[in-house]
Amino acid sequence: MSKRITVNPITRLEGHGKIEVFLDDKGDVRDVYWQVVELRGFERFCIGRPVEELPRIMPNICGVCPTPHNMASVKALDDLYGVEPPPAAKLIRQLHYNAFLVEDHLLHFYILSSPDFVLGPTADPTDRNIVGVVRKVGLDIGSKMIEVRKRCRDIVRHIASKPAHPEGGLPGGVSSGITEEDRKWMRETADLCVEFCQFSLQLFRQVVLDNREYLNLVLNDAYKLDTYYMGQVDEDKRLNFYEGKVRVVGPKGDEYALFNCHDYVDYIGEWVEPWTYIRLTHLRKIGWKGLNEGETTSLYRVGPLARLNVADGMLTPLAHKEFETMFAVLGSKPAHHTLAYHWARLIEALQAAEHMQRIARDPLLTSKDIRNMDLRLGKVGIGCVEAARGTLIHHYEADVDGRATKVNLIVATQHNAAPICLSVKKAAKEFIKGPQVREGFLNMVEMAFRAYDPCLGCATHALPGRMPLVVNLRDSEGSLLQTIQRV
Amino acid sequence: MSKYKPKLVCFSCKFSWGYLANEEALSREIENWVPVICTGKIDATHMLEAFKAGADGILILGCAEGSCHYQDGNYEAKKRVYLLRSLLESFGIEKERIRMKLSTDPEGKGIRELVENMKTDLARLGPAKKGSERPIKARGGKQYG
Amino acid sequence: MGKPKVAICWLGSCGGCDETVVDINEVLLRVAGAVDIVLWPVAMDFKYDSIKGMRNSEIALSVVNGNVRNSEQEEIAKLLREKSQLILAFGACACLGGTPGLANLAAKSDIFKWVYRDAPTVVNPRGNYPQTSCRVNGEELTLPEFYGRVYPLNAIIDVDYYLPGCPPPPYLVMYALSAAVENKLPAKGSTLAPHRALCDSCKRNKSKPDRMLIREIKRIHEVEADPDVCFLTQGIICLGPATRDGCGESCMNINIPCRGCFGPVEGVQDSGAKFVSTMASIVDAESDEDMARIVNQMIDPVGYLYRFLLPSSILQKEG
Repeated sequence: MSKRITVNPITRLEGHGKIEVFLDDKGDVRDVYWQVVELRGFERFCIGRPVEELPRIMPNICGVCPTPHNMASVKALDDLYGVEPPPAAKLIRQLHYNAFLVEDHLLHFYILSSPDFVLGPTADPTDRNIVGVVRKVGLDIGSKMIEVRKRCRDIVRHIASKPAHPEGGLPGGVSSGITEEDRKWMRETADLCVEFCQFSLQLFRQVVLDNREYLNLVLNDAYKLDTYYMGQVDEDKRLNFYEGKVRVVGPKGDEYALFNCHDYVDYIGEWVEPWTYIRLTHLRKIGWKGLNEGETTSLYRVGPLARLNVADGMLTPLAHKEFETMFAVLGSKPAHHTLAYHWARLIEALQAAEHMQRIARDPLLTSKDIRNMDLRLGKVGIGCVEAARGTLIHHYEADVDGRATKVNLIVATQHNAAPICLSVKKAAKEFIKGPQVREGFLNMVEMAFRAYDPCLGCATHALPGRMPLVVNLRDSEGSLLQTIQRV
Repeated sequence: MSKYKPKLVCFSCKFSWGYLANEEALSREIENWVPVICTGKIDATHMLEAFKAGADGILILGCAEGSCHYQDGNYEAKKRVYLLRSLLESFGIEKERIRMKLSTDPEGKGIRELVENMKTDLARLGPAKKGSERPIKARGGKQYG
Repeated sequence: MGKPKVAICWLGSCGGCDETVVDINEVLLRVAGAVDIVLWPVAMDFKYDSIKGMRNSEIALSVVNGNVRNSEQEEIAKLLREKSQLILAFGACACLGGTPGLANLAAKSDIFKWVYRDAPTVVNPRGNYPQTSCRVNGEELTLPEFYGRVYPLNAIIDVDYYLPGCPPPPYLVMYALSAAVENKLPAKGSTLAPHRALCDSCKRNKSKPDRMLIREIKRIHEVEADPDVCFLTQGIICLGPATRDGCGESCMNINIPCRGCFGPVEGVQDSGAKFVSTMASIVDAESDEDMARIVNQMIDPVGYLYRFLLPSSILQKEG
C-alpha cells in the first residue's frame, strides 16, 4: 500500500507551494515533488507596456525580493537603450542593491536559520525561534537586527521609494541623487552593517563550527547534493551581484561555462512538468535528465553557496578571508553541503556591507551627474543580477516606440526548484524509514528546504522562526492515516 | 445577424441640438437620447458606464466649433473623446464606437438620422464585447456571475 | 471571554504586504498582546483546518492581502468571510486587483502558451502543460485551477474595510490595526486612508500655473524632471489628481511620478476615467491633428491609468 505525505503550504515564489512525498509499500520514500501552485503571467501582461515602466511593475513579482527585479529590469533597459549610466548612478544603484542584500540575508539568517543552530535542531519547538535565540545570545542582538533592517530599508526608500515595491531606476541612470548630508547617515549605516555582519559570522563560528555535532550535520550526506553551480563573477572571477559574466562550474569544480547574459538562451532550458506551475531550469546543452544528481545531472544550483562555489574569491577583503576559511573547513570546492548555504549567505552579507562602506566613502557618490541621456533604442535588452536567492535574468524586446513586445524572465528560485525536490527527497530518505514518520523528519526536511531560502515569504518574516508544517499521511485511497503537526 | 439591433446612447447639447423641438416627443422617438446642458459636462465615467450598461456605441452631438455657449465645452469634450477612444481600444472596444459631431440643428430633425446611420455602422461591427469577454476570451477559467 | 481573534492571510500576492506588517514591529507586539492571532501563514503555524472548525463569525477581524486568481484563493477567501465578523482588504491587490491585475489584458491561453511553449528558454518536447490533476508514477498530483482572470477581493466576498497602497505605508497599517483593536473603526465600507487626492498634499502643487496646458506628453526616461515642479506641468503623466492621498509621496520624493497605487479618491470607483477628464483638460491642441498627435503620445493609456486597478475598473468589474 503506497502512502502520501503532503506538506502544505509552505512556500512562495510566484505564490505558494507544497511538497508531496510518496512512500512505497515498505514505507520508504519513493518520490518527492515540490509543487509551485501559482502563476501570474507577468511575462504576458507586460507586453504593450512602455519599457521604461517595467522597473516599476516587475518588483510586484515578489515583495520579499523586489529590489533585484527592479535592478534586473533597469539593467535590461540600459542594454535596450545601449546606454552606460554615469559612475554616480552606478554607485547609487549598487548602494541600493547592497543595502537590500544585507537586510535580506541577515533577516533570513536570524529569523529562519539561527534558531536551528543557536538552539539546536532538536530543541523544544516552542523555544526554537528568534525569541529563543535572543534569550540565549542576548537581547541586544534582537534590537540590533531590527535596527539594521530599518536603516537598510531607509536607504532603499531614499533611493527607490517603497522597500517592498521599489519604483526608482531609469535607463542610463537613477531618478534622484545623494547629498553630502545623506552620505553621513548612509556611511553610519554601512559601518553598522559591516560590524553586525562580522558579529554574525563570529556567532556562526561559535555555535556551529565549534560544535562537533552541528558541524557533522552540515557535513552529513543527507544534506549533500552534487550539482552544477551558477553565479555572476567580475573580470577577476570575483563574486559580483550587480554585473559581470555568468559562470557555471561542474560538480567537480571545473569551469563548464562562462557566458555573457545575452547568451543565456543557449545555456538555460526550462522544462515543463504537468504537476507544477514552475518551469524547471537545467543546462540546456546537456539536456533534461530528470531529477537526479551526480555526473549525469543537468541540474545546477544558484544562490549564496552556488555563488561562492563558482567564484575564485570575494570582492572585498574581509569577506574574502571568510570565503577562504569556509572552503578550508568544508574541505572541497565546490562544496555540495546544502546547509553551508547559511554560512555562504553570511559571507555574502559581509561583502555587501563592505561594498556599501566603500560606496558610501566614494567621492563620486554625491555627483549631480546621475543620468546619461544618450538613449538609442535598440530591439533587445537583457539584464542580469544576482538576486538574494540566485541569478535573475530579465529579457525584453521592444518595438520602435519602446513598447515591450517580448518578455522572458528567469527567476532565482526557478533554478533551485528541481534541486529542492532532490534535497527534500534525500533528507526524507534518511529520516523516514518504515511505516512511521518520526517527528524529527519535519525538522530535517525543513532544514534541507530552508537552506535555499526559496524566496518564501517566510524566508524573511517568519516571526516564530520555523517553517510551519502539517504532514498528512494518507494511504493510496487517500484516507488519513496520521497527522503530524509542528505547533 | 440581421436580427441584431445595436444599442446606442446619444448625448446632445441643448444649446445647438433640438432646442426648438418638442423634447418629449423627440425622446419618445429616439431611444436612449440624453440631452445635456453642454457636451463638456459628459465625463469619461458616463461614457464608460454607458458601455457597462450594455451600449454598443455612443454618439455625442455638440455645438459647432467655436460656438460653445460656455466658451469651450465642446472642445473639452472632443479632447476627452480622443483620449477615451485610445483607452477603450486596450479594453477591446473599437474606436468607432464613439462618434462625435459638432454642428447645429435647432429643430433636431437630423438627430434621428444621425442615430440611425451610426446604428447601421454599429450593426456591421457587431455587439460590443461585454463584461467577462472584455478584453479576454477566457478558456477553461471559471467565471463568476 | 478570550482575546479577539485575528487572521492575517495572503491570497494572490507578492509578500510585500506581509513585509509591511512586519515593519511595524513595536505596534505589532502591542496588537499581538491584545488579540489572538489565529492564522498568519507567512509568519505562524498554518491552520486552515482549525479555521474550518471554527464557529461562524468567530474571528473578529481578517486582514486579507492579494487578489484572487485561482480556486484555492477563492476557497480561502470564502472560508475567512464565513468565519469573520470583519474583513479588511489590505493593499492594492486585495482592494483593486493590483499590478498583477493587468493580466486581465492577456488571455489565460495566451499566458499558458508563452510560459510553457513559446518562451525562448522553454524545452518542452512532450507538450506538457500544468494540470489541475495528473498522475505521476501512478500517484495523483493536484494543482489549483488557474482562473481566466484576476479578481479584487470584493468581487468574491463582501469586504468591510479597505486599506490601499502597494504596499500600505506602516503608519496607516498602525492606524487601521489600532482602530480595530480599540473599536474605533469608521462606518463599514470605509477606506482607512485620507479622502483627498495626492495633489492636495504634494509639495510640488505650489508650482502649478493657474491654467495648466501641455503641448507634449513626455515619458519618464525622456526628460530630466525638475524635482520641484509638478510633473503634469512638465508634461509627464502623474496620477496625483485622481489618486487617493496617503502614500507619503514616496515616489515623488525620488522624483518619479505617481502611478496610482492608492486607487481612486473617496466616492470614485474608476480613477482611470477621472484621469481621462483631467488629462484631456490640460491638453492644448490647435487642431484635430494636433490633438491626435498629443493624445497618441500617451502610448499606453491602460497601463498608465489602470496600473493598479484594472480588475475593479468600470468596464471590468462585474455586477
